[in-house]
Amino acid sequence: MLHIKNGIVIDPKNGIIGEKMDIFIKDGKIVEEVEVNGCKTIDANGKLVVAGGIDLHAHIAGGKINTGRAMRPEEMRHVRQKTGKFRAAVGRTLLTSPAIGYEYAKMGYTTAIEPATPSIYVIHTHEELDSIPIIDKATLPLFGNWHPVLRYSADKDIEKLKSFVAWVLERTKGYGVKLVNPGGVEAWMYGGNVKSIDDTVPGFGVTPREIITSLIAAVEELKLPHSVHIHCNNLGMPGNYETTMETIKLAKGFENERRQVLHVTHVQFNAYTGSSWRDIGSGAEHIAKLINSMDNVTIDMGQPIFGYATTMTADCPWQFELHKIAKAKWCNRDIELETGAGIVPYVYRPKNPVNSVQWAVGLELGLLVDSEKIAVSTDYPNGGPFTSYPYIVTLLMSRKFREEEMKKAHPYMEKATSLSSIDKEKSLEEVITMTRVTPAKVLGMENKGHLGVGADGDVVIYDIDPLNYSSNDWQTILKAFENPLYTIKSGEIVVKDGELVGETWGRTFWVDARADTTTEIIEADLEEYFNYYTVKCCNYGVKEAWLRNPVRITAG
Amino acid sequence: MLVIRPRSDFEVNVEAEITPELATKPVEEIRRFRVYYGNRLVPLEELFDLEKKGDEEVLILEGDFSRVKWVGMGMQSGEIIVKGNIGAHCGAFMKGGKIVIEGNADDWLGAEMEGGEIIVKGNTRHLVACPYWGDLEGMKGGKITIEGNAGNYIGEKMCGGEIEIKGNAGDFIGTEMKDGRIVIHGSCGYVGGDMKGGEILIGGSFELVPAFVKMEDGFVGDVNVGGQGKVKVLK
Repeated sequence: MLHIKNGIVIDPKNGIIGEKMDIFIKDGKIVEEVEVNGCKTIDANGKLVVAGGIDLHAHIAGGKINTGRAMRPEEMRHVRQKTGKFRAAVGRTLLTSPAIGYEYAKMGYTTAIEPATPSIYVIHTHEELDSIPIIDKATLPLFGNWHPVLRYSADKDIEKLKSFVAWVLERTKGYGVKLVNPGGVEAWMYGGNVKSIDDTVPGFGVTPREIITSLIAAVEELKLPHSVHIHCNNLGMPGNYETTMETIKLAKGFENERRQVLHVTHVQFNAYTGSSWRDIGSGAEHIAKLINSMDNVTIDMGQPIFGYATTMTADCPWQFELHKIAKAKWCNRDIELETGAGIVPYVYRPKNPVNSVQWAVGLELGLLVDSEKIAVSTDYPNGGPFTSYPYIVTLLMSRKFREEEMKKAHPYMEKATSLSSIDKEKSLEEVITMTRVTPAKVLGMENKGHLGVGADGDVVIYDIDPLNYSSNDWQTILKAFENPLYTIKSGEIVVKDGELVGETWGRTFWVDARADTTTEIIEADLEEYFNYYTVKCCNYGVKEAWLRNPVRITAG
Repeated sequence: MLVIRPRSDFEVNVEAEITPELATKPVEEIRRFRVYYGNRLVPLEELFDLEKKGDEEVLILEGDFSRVKWVGMGMQSGEIIVKGNIGAHCGAFMKGGKIVIEGNADDWLGAEMEGGEIIVKGNTRHLVACPYWGDLEGMKGGKITIEGNAGNYIGEKMCGGEIEIKGNAGDFIGTEMKDGRIVIHGSCGYVGGDMKGGEILIGGSFELVPAFVKMEDGFVGDVNVGGQGKVKVLK
């Protein structure tokens, strides 16, 4: 039992904006009121009290980050914490599993989603997720280039696709459907790529447009808590904002009253105008206008941070392009008939005109898109470490801080983007929405991102007075978000004054969508598919009992 | 001046990040200076006899130091004189000052060094002036002189400074070298793979990867990476 008294609460989902009130947590949940006698009390007088942060897109586990760790031994020389009461934590941009849990908690985040897992390696992903302390997590398997998905999309056989999605989610203990460069990675197996959503995927006669709409239809009919989560075609290329806009418009044919039907991720990497690296510019305004005019699409920022990063995506052709541009190390993996992956170390340099434009585009999106439709992310570790979220939030809140940071950037940024002309400063309420409410709504997690009765007991207390702060005093804002006074996970205090004080183990959510489907109709296809596979069907995926704290969510 | 002698033969490696600065400190502080003996942190005096003579910024290591690593790591000034052999990582990240080794040196001598001077009267083993795994820049400045022979991997990803080897060297000299100068009076194995810039001078025989173009005064390459590195015969 925990009693947080006199805190100034911002809980946008429940319409509470800066009200002095008490919060009670019992058995890991927020409750109406408990007997105050004998229960632990935290005095949060004049401090900001909010729900725990949610990161809906961070590559925190699985084959990619692990290959990245093997490729970059220099990362492991950055020591964050030595062994003592807690486990050793190392890593500069590629953190070890304990470091990921600790660092999230240290900035007031309590949930993170691993957004791209090849199903055949899901056993590894879950092993790693189970090694991450404190936070709650889930994983999204990759669907966009999987042979049965391509075939069912070409045949427009939504019934079979539904059965396949439900079967995969159960086998992988996955949470939703992720698409990465749909069709493009399959084309990469022949050395190619797709250039628009109407190109044909070799060998299947299907277009990315058909793959995306078929999967949206299947996901909506299955009533999954999370919508289709897409990394668009043509990522990273100048002029790609048109492809992104066309992809976003595909959502127009669908409706869902509870949430969006399409989540477009790390849009910063997909929002460039121009025809080459010499005339690259920002397409953020076009995209922001389109997103704001629609009510069934959400996005996240994918903000790059100046400094070290390690790019890792399932988008193999793009990673090869980046390897040629950056002249850096490159690892490519073709993952049988499912997907692929590429990894390239990278440094975002303020003196580089393109990197400066990327940095500005992310912020333009963050400022111009409604807070209910955009979440904060760095696409960890592609844009930089997630530990920079306090920095991003402060940039969004303070024009003065933006001006200071803009001075570091290359002057080309001024010409190619409109960041310097944006005066908007997001309020505390808006950034709390972007880091808590929006991600929870996008993911369909009803008990997260708010402090109403019945919500998870994930509460953070920051050292800032929401009724009395100045956006010009960015040092105070940054310091407050970097060092929460308390991070409380399921009612347990895990961080106090920015220091780790407790270690708990979070849950892994997965979605069971088998209720309205039957594997009978895809049995023959699966049998044929596994005839030529390295793993037998009966050995594919993971069992629920193998997970540390699995939570089954039934779709519908 | 501080004279250090091992008390006995070490059973496991010692990791002692000692620099000449230590000699300027009070005796009590020197005794309590902590070093790793295997996985244990112990005070310096438990492993070594210490004799302080004046406040000069000079360390003198007498006896067998071949299992003592990281001597002179990151040192900025002063002088270290090693009377015998020295262990690995000697002078790593060094920024200034001088190290004289009268015996032989182990691997990773002067790794990622930025300035100062190292003189080895005997031989060295592998990875002289190399970057640690994954880092993009090796030696950036300063000078290393080796009077004997050297092992494999010399001056990988070197960005500045000079290495002079009076004897022979092994394979992979100046791999991915960007700038600086390597002089080898004797013979060596493969030279200059993926070399982008800088200069390698060799007195004896050597092997060259095929990606070098013969010019009037030597070879230029590596053409695979569009490099302008020069490999010449030492006259």
